[in-house]
Amino acid sequence: MMHLLKIEWMKIKNYKVFLIIAIFFTIGILLSNYIVYSVFDNMINNSSAAMLLDKFNPYDFKYVWKSVSYTSGYLLILPVLLLIILITNEFTFRTNRQNVIDGWSRKQFINVKMMLALIFAICSTLIVIITGLIFAYRTGTSFSFDGFTHVGFFFLKALSYNLIAVFISVWLKRTGFAVGAYFIYMGAENIIAQLLDFWSLKIKATSSFDPGSMGDYLPMNASDGLLSFPDNPLKSIAKSALPTDYTNIVIALAIFYVVLFYWMGRRQIIRHDL
Amino acid sequence: MAILTVNQLSKNYGKIPALQQVSFSVPKGSVFGILGPNGSGKTTLLGIIMDVLKSSGGSFQLFDEVPTENTRQRMGTLLETPNFYHYLSAVQNLKITAAIKQKDEDDIDRVLEIVNLTQRKDSPFSTYSLGMKQRLAIAAALLGNPEVLVLDEPTNGLDPVGIAEIRELIKKLAKEGKTIIMASHMLDEVEKVCTHVAILKYGKLITFGDVNEILVNDDIVEVASSDLERLKNTLINMPGNTHVQTTNETVHVNFAAGTANLEAVNKFCFENGIVLSHLQLKKKSLETKFLELTN
Repeated sequence: MMHLLKIEWMKIKNYKVFLIIAIFFTIGILLSNYIVYSVFDNMINNSSAAMLLDKFNPYDFKYVWKSVSYTSGYLLILPVLLLIILITNEFTFRTNRQNVIDGWSRKQFINVKMMLALIFAICSTLIVIITGLIFAYRTGTSFSFDGFTHVGFFFLKALSYNLIAVFISVWLKRTGFAVGAYFIYMGAENIIAQLLDFWSLKIKATSSFDPGSMGDYLPMNASDGLLSFPDNPLKSIAKSALPTDYTNIVIALAIFYVVLFYWMGRRQIIRHDL
Repeated sequence: MAILTVNQLSKNYGKIPALQQVSFSVPKGSVFGILGPNGSGKTTLLGIIMDVLKSSGGSFQLFDEVPTENTRQRMGTLLETPNFYHYLSAVQNLKITAAIKQKDEDDIDRVLEIVNLTQRKDSPFSTYSLGMKQRLAIAAALLGNPEVLVLDEPTNGLDPVGIAEIRELIKKLAKEGKTIIMASHMLDEVEKVCTHVAILKYGKLITFGDVNEILVNDDIVEVASSDLERLKNTLINMPGNTHVQTTNETVHVNFAAGTANLEAVNKFCFENGIVLSHLQLKKKSLETKFLELTN
């Protein structure tokens, strides 16, 4: 696998788009967290608002992993975009064929792309951890791993977003189609998720059965649903009316979707004409 | 030993059969031309052999073995179009090819020199002309000096000088004992370099074998006199002819390629008391032969 990754690196390292998106992503994570951080910092320093919020700072070490994972999650669309471009480029240049002609198996071709999706997810997670450390130390609180599972959830979200991107790319083959389809799917899934969530509320209110937030059972929303911004103490009062979060079911589903898209992406490359 | 053995290979695109139960074998050391008009299944055939297309039936072997990806690393292949990363230079692209084929990068300079791309080796592929792209694809196929070359329309997009150079290159490689499988619709290309030929039409194999047996290319002498019947009967006795036939107003006499001698024909007729009113050498073109075979 190392040999395959070395070749993949040869393809990527001189590609300007790769460099630009990687830089935008890193800066974007730092910047978006900085904005959230400074909003709360200002509120704390403003005495009347601070009373309301009970001096709640989401970047204290106690909350930071939850906050940084949630805030950074929105930027995962950038590595997704990069992955779609890198994979559909192979189809546009027909280098997917040439790689196989020159002596890769179809399995090697798709495996290294899956590996790339995994590496992108790992790198995104590392950037998030570093960002978390930077801002948490600025609050002056002492180091803590409280809520570090949320970094794991962020990784799961990155991985599932990336694998959906790999599947859509190898399925549609054209950059424009694939990017468009990804966004349309994202929008459509969110609308359906909202409807399902609304329905969940109704079911919970009218019967004794609590189905949980059913919107979270969809592929993208499963890993989205695991991440949330830390609740400030005032807000949690409203929570009791909402459906229960069956976190374990959602984690299981999120992992199931990761495996599903991995399997579908591989199948597409191995079974069809290139 | 056969380099390639194809057995009952078929491929359908939906309901359209692109390849129908094609079987043949390519002997080691041959220059094997796969000939056929556009859409006859040449590229489909080679695509299946290189595992970029899935066959609908049949099987094939390379080096008398069931092929794997490692088998393909022993072959240099140019299939249909030059496929490279547009934003990388020739050298960067060939480094990727070398890494996949597990060949030494040191060979890159040599192959770029063969196809005259040394001067432009650091320019991005996207800035190349069609002919240069084709040359780079040939360079990639030559990388690591493989024992078998598969070239699909190798002279596509090349200028006349380039075409001649590639032809010479193929002849030189054949002399070195390499096996070359070449698909083409250019008949003179095949005639000039190939030792063996397979002819495809609508996905069916029409014939295959030694090029000299399949593309026999007789000289034809067209003659006429006042009495065609007598002329024909006389010429049948002329030494060296392979076939005599009457057409509407002339008689056609076939001779083996390059042996027809108009003076000798004229003299032979005159000595037999016939004065010719018409005497002309007609080379039977390869096109005619090809059309005969494919129609």
